[in-house]
Amino acid sequence: MANDIVDPFFSVSHFDGKTAVRRKVEIQTIGQNFFLLENERRHGPYTFDYMHFVSKTKDNISYGYEDIDGWRLTLSGPIPEGLKPLLPATRTYGSWIDKLGLGKASVAFIAVSAAVLVVGMTAPQWLAPIIPQSVENSLGDTLVGDFGGRFCNTPDGKAALAKLTNSLDGNPDDLQVEVVNIDMLNAVALPGGKIFLFEGLIQQAESVDEVAGVLGHEIGHVRERHVMQGLLRQLGLSLVLGGLNENVGGVLNSALSNSYGRDAEREADSHSIRVMSEANISPIGTKGFFEKLADMTNEDNDISEMTSYMSSHPLSTERAAAFQKSFDANKDYKPALSSAEWGAIKSMCKNDPDVKSGFGFDLFDE
Amino acid sequence: MTEDTKKSAFQFHGNWVDFAKIALVNLLLTIITLGFYRFWATTREREYLWSQTQFIDERFEWVGTGKELFIGFIIIAFLFLIPFSLLYFFATIINPLAAGIVYIIGLLFVFYFVGLAKYRMLRYRLSRTYWHGIRGGSDDKGFRFGLTYMIKTTLGFLPLGLANPWATCELWNERWEKLSFGPNDFQSHASYNSVFGTYLLSYIFFPFTWVYQARLRRTLIDGLRLEKLEFAFTASTFDWIGLIIVDVLIVLGTLGIGLIFIPYRHWQFYINHLEAYGEVNLDALTQSQTAKEKHGEGLLDAFDVGAI
Ligand SMILES: [Zn+2]
Repeated sequence: MANDIVDPFFSVSHFDGKTAVRRKVEIQTIGQNFFLLENERRHGPYTFDYMHFVSKTKDNISYGYEDIDGWRLTLSGPIPEGLKPLLPATRTYGSWIDKLGLGKASVAFIAVSAAVLVVGMTAPQWLAPIIPQSVENSLGDTLVGDFGGRFCNTPDGKAALAKLTNSLDGNPDDLQVEVVNIDMLNAVALPGGKIFLFEGLIQQAESVDEVAGVLGHEIGHVRERHVMQGLLRQLGLSLVLGGLNENVGGVLNSALSNSYGRDAEREADSHSIRVMSEANISPIGTKGFFEKLADMTNEDNDISEMTSYMSSHPLSTERAAAFQKSFDANKDYKPALSSAEWGAIKSMCKNDPDVKSGFGFDLFDE
Repeated sequence: MTEDTKKSAFQFHGNWVDFAKIALVNLLLTIITLGFYRFWATTREREYLWSQTQFIDERFEWVGTGKELFIGFIIIAFLFLIPFSLLYFFATIINPLAAGIVYIIGLLFVFYFVGLAKYRMLRYRLSRTYWHGIRGGSDDKGFRFGLTYMIKTTLGFLPLGLANPWATCELWNERWEKLSFGPNDFQSHASYNSVFGTYLLSYIFFPFTWVYQARLRRTLIDGLRLEKLEFAFTASTFDWIGLIIVDVLIVLGTLGIGLIFIPYRHWQFYINHLEAYGEVNLDALTQSQTAKEKHGEGLLDAFDVGAI
């Protein structure tokens, strides 16, 4: 019943939550219920089940009560054994951690965090295939439109380009391959199966086989859905980083630069090697292209677009070697296009009276 | 520390070893939860700091929870940050002009929310702070204050920034006058008159900025009243410079780990320089009837406005 043997150092103070007056009280327990005795007055009855832990310091533990705002029972000194089992549990790190224990909770947190990191970093890879092709297509159309009228177009040139594409891909209707009138040694794959070969690349190519290899590589990016992965990665990054990127054009620019990561580049290269072999096109031209890239970066060149192409693609000498290795001396290789067809592609931009030239396109303005 | 002959109404009893035990575990838990524990970490630190702070005869009690802070953060993330980031991302895809418009609208939103958050932070903290079983709070949700904040801050900057002290004092007064503790409303009469001269000097000679900042804080707190209590703040410019120099030395000397002591040091600094005069009538200090909001200062946390 009422307080048995109470330690003289044990004391209880009480705020009723209605006024700030502190009350010295004794606890009178009756089963699960209790009263607080203060001189002549008796507060209660209260039920232990409705008490909750509020705070503790070295000497004190404070409890609150269900719906009474500011109601406090503060116990100081060693708590009587009879009272201990009736009081609610205290809290230290937070209820979850307290239940498990700090050690076990830490192990659990590390495991969950590692899983979250793995899922988060691989999300673009498994999310990209889920996004419907139609969404990607309309995204691609919104993005580039007619690229500011910079697509080169002559009937012969387009026909030759279509023939080259057909020889490298079984489903060329999904693809839109264009030669873009910008003097840049580069090619990009954009959302919606758009592949742009820049005029600089066409003019500097020593053979059509070289262009075939680069086109095969970009088709590889499309078929492996690297483009959407890249966009999703960029989107995820901008979300994680708060999204408030100062540089308005920056997000798109880096999404569109062919920085799909080294693994993606290797995948695109092997795709290129495979489709070229199936089409009986020699890989030696493409090997030459990468050697040329390697040479140009070794010299201190002032062609800046060069270095940007390099930085995102695996080392050119390594790539050249991969194409070299795929060369089969016993195979009867044929040129990717006749010299007349190749000529039609090479002269397409020159012979198109309507095409606009150069940079100054919004998307690439910083 | 030396004991004053006359005891201050505010006493800080904490010691940095006890705080370190909390802060180091917090740091580790925050790292292994990829940052998610920080809401509970903040709560544990506050529980400690409040419980070591005595006003007259009784220590404060912090009853805010990590869950509240977490919910506050989630609300802001899902209502604002994520939709806005997505909108901004797709706007950049459409064209730079659309992105620019979305960006400017976003900045206006942030501006509004910063004001709202500065008020909500105070309200949340007061409503979770108990002394003698009594808490503070307010029924004003602060939505209008967000607008006033935008207007007065802008006005303060317009005439070459000259009206900045006026705007700061006005906004401080406005915020505090909406708040109460127990049955009593706060009164706030900070006036820019006493700091304007120093503010002008800081235009001519940059180090006066520090003098201004120290004076401003004294002026703001000196103007506060709660019923028969008057508050005062005694930190001089040199006190502040000393605080910051030691902060920097601690952080550099510990290769950054010392950052976790900064909340402790600043709390201690504020409490040691905070004074109160007057009297408290415990019988008349009855429970606050203000509404308790269910979530914490997520706004402020999300915009990283920084705490005092
Ligand atoms: Zn590539």
